[in-house]
Amino acid sequence: MTNRSALSRLAYLALVLLVLLFLAVPILIIVPMSFSDSRFLAFPPPGYSLRWYEAFFGNADWLDAARTSLTVALLATLLATPAGFMAAYAMHHSRLRAMKWLRTMLLLPLMVPIIIVAIGVFFVYARIGLVATLPGLVVAHAMLGLPYVVIAVSAGLAGFDATQEMVARSLGMNRLRSVLTVTLPQIRPSVVSGAVFAFISSLDETIVSLFIAGGDNQTLTKRMFTTLRDEIDPTIAAISVMLTATSFLLVLVVIGLQRKKA
Amino acid sequence: MQACAPTPPPATPSRRHARREDRLMLALAAPAALVVLLLLVLPMAWLFAQSFYDGGFTLQHYRRIFTERIYFDTFALTFRISVATTLLALLLGYPVAYAAARLPQRWRLVVLGLVLVPFWTSVLVRAYAWLILLQRTGVVNKGLQAAGLIDSPLPLVHNELGTMIGTLHILLPFMILPLYATMQKIPHDLLMAGSSLGGSPAHVFRRVFLPLSLPGIVAGCTMVFVLCLGFYITPELLGGGKTIMVSMVVSRNVELYNQWGAASAVSVVLLACVFAIFALIGRFLPLERVVAPR
Amino acid sequence: MAARQYQRIAAAVLGAAASTAALAAGQITFVSQGGAWQEAQTQGILEPAAKQLGITIRQDSAPDAWPMIKTQGETGKPVWDVVDTPTVNCLRGGKAGLIETLDYGKLPNAKPMPAAYKSPYSVAYEFYSSVLAYSKDTYKTNPPSTWADFWDVKKYPGHRSLRNHPLATLEAALMADGVAPDKLYPLDVDRAFRKLEEIKPYITVWWTSGGQSAQLLHDGEVDMIMAWNGRVSDLIKSGANVAYTYNQGVLQSTHLCILKNSPNLETAHAFVNAAISPELQANIPLSIDYGPGNPEAFKTGKIPAARTQELPSAPENAARQALMAYEWWTSPEGEAAEKRWLAFMQSK
Repeated sequence: MTNRSALSRLAYLALVLLVLLFLAVPILIIVPMSFSDSRFLAFPPPGYSLRWYEAFFGNADWLDAARTSLTVALLATLLATPAGFMAAYAMHHSRLRAMKWLRTMLLLPLMVPIIIVAIGVFFVYARIGLVATLPGLVVAHAMLGLPYVVIAVSAGLAGFDATQEMVARSLGMNRLRSVLTVTLPQIRPSVVSGAVFAFISSLDETIVSLFIAGGDNQTLTKRMFTTLRDEIDPTIAAISVMLTATSFLLVLVVIGLQRKKA
Repeated sequence: MQACAPTPPPATPSRRHARREDRLMLALAAPAALVVLLLLVLPMAWLFAQSFYDGGFTLQHYRRIFTERIYFDTFALTFRISVATTLLALLLGYPVAYAAARLPQRWRLVVLGLVLVPFWTSVLVRAYAWLILLQRTGVVNKGLQAAGLIDSPLPLVHNELGTMIGTLHILLPFMILPLYATMQKIPHDLLMAGSSLGGSPAHVFRRVFLPLSLPGIVAGCTMVFVLCLGFYITPELLGGGKTIMVSMVVSRNVELYNQWGAASAVSVVLLACVFAIFALIGRFLPLERVVAPR
Repeated sequence: MAARQYQRIAAAVLGAAASTAALAAGQITFVSQGGAWQEAQTQGILEPAAKQLGITIRQDSAPDAWPMIKTQGETGKPVWDVVDTPTVNCLRGGKAGLIETLDYGKLPNAKPMPAAYKSPYSVAYEFYSSVLAYSKDTYKTNPPSTWADFWDVKKYPGHRSLRNHPLATLEAALMADGVAPDKLYPLDVDRAFRKLEEIKPYITVWWTSGGQSAQLLHDGEVDMIMAWNGRVSDLIKSGANVAYTYNQGVLQSTHLCILKNSPNLETAHAFVNAAISPELQANIPLSIDYGPGNPEAFKTGKIPAARTQELPSAPENAARQALMAYEWWTSPEGEAAEKRWLAFMQSK
């Protein structure tokens, strides 16, 4: 009895470790690849150097693309967070039947296959001349980030005791102030985590950007995609390492904030 | 945590107030709704219209999809890969989610971290990493040959297998996270009660834990399956040009042939499948629990 | 008579003044295929032309410009001005009303160019070849030199790769089946696809990008490949043990064309004229293994004789190759062949 359970326990742990390894290995090898001194993607790298990081920082086009990506991500998040918050608040408090449809509609960007989202947005933008523009990218990424904000804020509102807000309002505060001063601080971790998810998803977004970014407004991901088509070189690995590190740090911030709440 | 039911404002509930409240709520939801409406719903409606158009109303795009062999093959291949990936993701992801849910805080963060970090590495780069690992002169083959397990390199990439490995890698977190979220909520006391009533660990697992984790299983499988249906970059890079999935057909029709009619028709069929799945699941589970399970 | 002449001169002077004024603040968006080729162009052609004309040149890149050409053309308000793209796209686009008919009056540098290098919509920019390249590690003695060799899996065992695109691949298949390089057109599409079915099981990868083709050969993932000569020379220069042959290669070209309703039509024409000037064209082979579109470039003396011989469009090399007939590819049969490619790739 004990032997069997010990053996099965061991097998189970081994399986978990193997799966975690499976998840980790490609990420792990990208790091040494980014320090490779070979012109081609190779693992293990024949030698080490910082040339690909230098190639990135020394290249105006890459830096422009990075700037574009960061700007778009920031603006898209700034757009998606209040819009998503308001929508989540409305859906939480309203009894209108329309809200059910709204809930489904706001989740659509996550449900519809991204290629269809991409060609749809591309088609609209091509007609109104928003292709290869910054506002175009910002709005599209904001749309893609909305579900994350809505989901996170909805979860936060669900766990929030709304009587507090009601009390503040019955004491004479108008709705806006009561939301800002009572509700928002208490569900801040949810809002922040939704915003962070929206930000990261914008940074990593590849397919829609492939269709609608261009010219002066290339995102990092689109440039990576087109560069990989043209010249498969380890600059991509260097950029990826930096992007992952950025996302990772942001998540740590979120966790830190959540810890503070608890 | 139960939310309080929405209560009317402190003044006497009157129809005027209720209507003002409704209008306020609609106004609050308007910006978000407008963006999604204009950039997603409208284009999809246009795609739908476009799929019936080729100089005039026509069913030829759909006829081609349902009569030409290659479309059937493409959908069949896509479904086959999606089903296989979903099952594998479930089999491999469940133990990991279980471990994460039951481990003490510090280890839990490590496991979740390992699951999330690949999540935020560019899909492109991950696909290329797998290419480097799996190719004939890659580390995996070299290792297997060095260990004497094989004589000549195995074709691990540039085919369906490579596509599945890459896809599995990318979608595994989408299985593990919903599973974990649901498992985390299963009260430990229930399991204790089960075993204190005489059930063996296996029995408790099968009759208590597993059913309670079902919403997470459904959510995870749905997300993985639907995402896999729409996968584009991974089959493109790891499939060797031979593994053609539906989204690649859509993109090629747009990019290469600029045939919006054909692209739209394929998109509509794909969307119909996706919506059918969500509608089916929606009968058993609220949509939001699927996309963001709690 | 005299009055009319004066009128014409006056108009020309005014026109020149106007266009110079436009040029003074001029700018264009130039699109090519990215990578090393676009970098070489930037140094050799774009920067000198910008300085010469006093204009700003914004760049964009697209591995395949055709979809964007179509989309931008359809909106009637293109963002791109000048595109460097395989000739077939210029011809297709012209026929579809998406590409401007060139005003050859504004392109004096095009006059000495052979008629075959010009079309109503475009003018030759550079020449490249799709060639048979192979690993010297695998084929130490008696390397493959014809497409029949590529198709001969018994005599030349090894892993193979072809481009995931019918252009040049169909030609190679026909040459493998015994058709002479100068008798390829109009292509016998059925015969080409039949021949391709023979080799299909032995193709390890169907490559989609230049970078990918180079990586495949470099990593030893494949032993034989049909690839663009520039990519392979690049590999050889960086020390890879590979080689290629111009024998039975397919000589292809890219042309410059201007999108219809381009926002900077005047400047675009001025740029095209500068880009095909012999001086700037001669810069192309100095930094990359592609031949200049304008043969006058060979007369400038900038290109060393040894270098000339390496280029795809050099007479001795061109003689061994098949010159791609873009006219055929833009014909209905050509379009049908392209559509058939996807079906071919998906069939078991």
